[in-house]
Amino acid sequence: MRSPRTLEVWRLGTVNYLKSLKIQDKLVSERKSHQIPDTLLSLEHPPTYTLGKRRTDHNLLIPQSQLTKIGAELHYTQRGGDITFHGPHQAILYPIISLRSIGFGARNYVETLERSMIEFASMYGVRARAGNKCETGVWVGDRKIGAIGVRISCGITCHGLAFNIDPDLNYFEHIVPCGIADKEVTSLRRETDALLPKEEVIHKQLITCFAKAFSYDDVVWKEDPSFILDTKDDG
Amino acid sequence: MALTLMLASSRIASHLRISLSHRAFSSVVLKDLKYADSHEWVKIEGNKATVGITDHAQEHLGDVVYVELPDVGRSVSQGESFGAVESVKATSDINSPISGKVLQVNKDLSESPALVTSSPYEEGWIIKVELSDAGEVKKLMDSDKYSKFCEEEDAKH
Repeated sequence: MRSPRTLEVWRLGTVNYLKSLKIQDKLVSERKSHQIPDTLLSLEHPPTYTLGKRRTDHNLLIPQSQLTKIGAELHYTQRGGDITFHGPHQAILYPIISLRSIGFGARNYVETLERSMIEFASMYGVRARAGNKCETGVWVGDRKIGAIGVRISCGITCHGLAFNIDPDLNYFEHIVPCGIADKEVTSLRRETDALLPKEEVIHKQLITCFAKAFSYDDVVWKEDPSFILDTKDDG
Repeated sequence: MALTLMLASSRIASHLRISLSHRAFSSVVLKDLKYADSHEWVKIEGNKATVGITDHAQEHLGDVVYVELPDVGRSVSQGESFGAVESVKATSDINSPISGKVLQVNKDLSESPALVTSSPYEEGWIIKVELSDAGEVKKLMDSDKYSKFCEEEDAKH
């Protein structure tokens, strides 16, 4: 009989992208040395474009100098995947979990992230599907509603997924999202007629779908976000 | 039909010195290599070593679309990351099974990263290293131990 698996969840509100990277670095290190259990960060970012390890900045369609004019930042990261946009009303989950303890590789992990988002979308009557080969992510028809980009080091994950609740989709016009040129980006708002509850409720639902997909026995909701937001290494 | 294939593959495997486990999702493990628990293999030839990722690793990654290679001349340390592969929007660190100096990197992987997927033990080799401590090899697993390790990992879910 396997030992029970616990997930600790921090709901952080809006967090600057660089700050979220620092928090994740610290948590990855703590998870590697078994100081913390599997941990999930639930948050949003201010308008931010990010690139993955392959640095595909040819998929940014406006000059970098224009970004401040549209109120956005740009960051290069070590995650997989292509260029994407994060912003208000997009729900982000950054799982810092040990894949070795569940015997998962990258493929199983990403497929389970996709399943979490598909299950969540179905709560609003939205029939989403996983992407085809080379189109990792979650789609409604040919419209992308959820994106994934992760990093795995020593079997510990960071970065994660982004699900469009009701972000300003115009920001996606300035990129070739995920490097896929001929497909649209969509949102839960666009795809459902259902009344959307408060975003806090929506985030909790997404987290619950994640916990279920990854078969956690216990979910611990951490109450004081300042505990990890006020990291000492903060710049 | 399945039994015939299994017997044929066992005979071929035995001829090629490969051990196969006959499970639904079995991966290839070569007998003359050593293995790290982060699923990298190393072939030792005197004080030189060739490193790559195993068949088990590439199966669990999905199709590799990018390989980040280290610079020739840099040091690598046992258990430490020296590069990364990308698959299914995930970058996964590659850790070195041994310590030493990078003599050569597989430049074919820049144009054809999928070689890691299609030929993880041959054309998909990643770096060649001059060993700094041959004794470290004792800390690695042989093919039988590694096969068992993979089975135990896969049984976790």
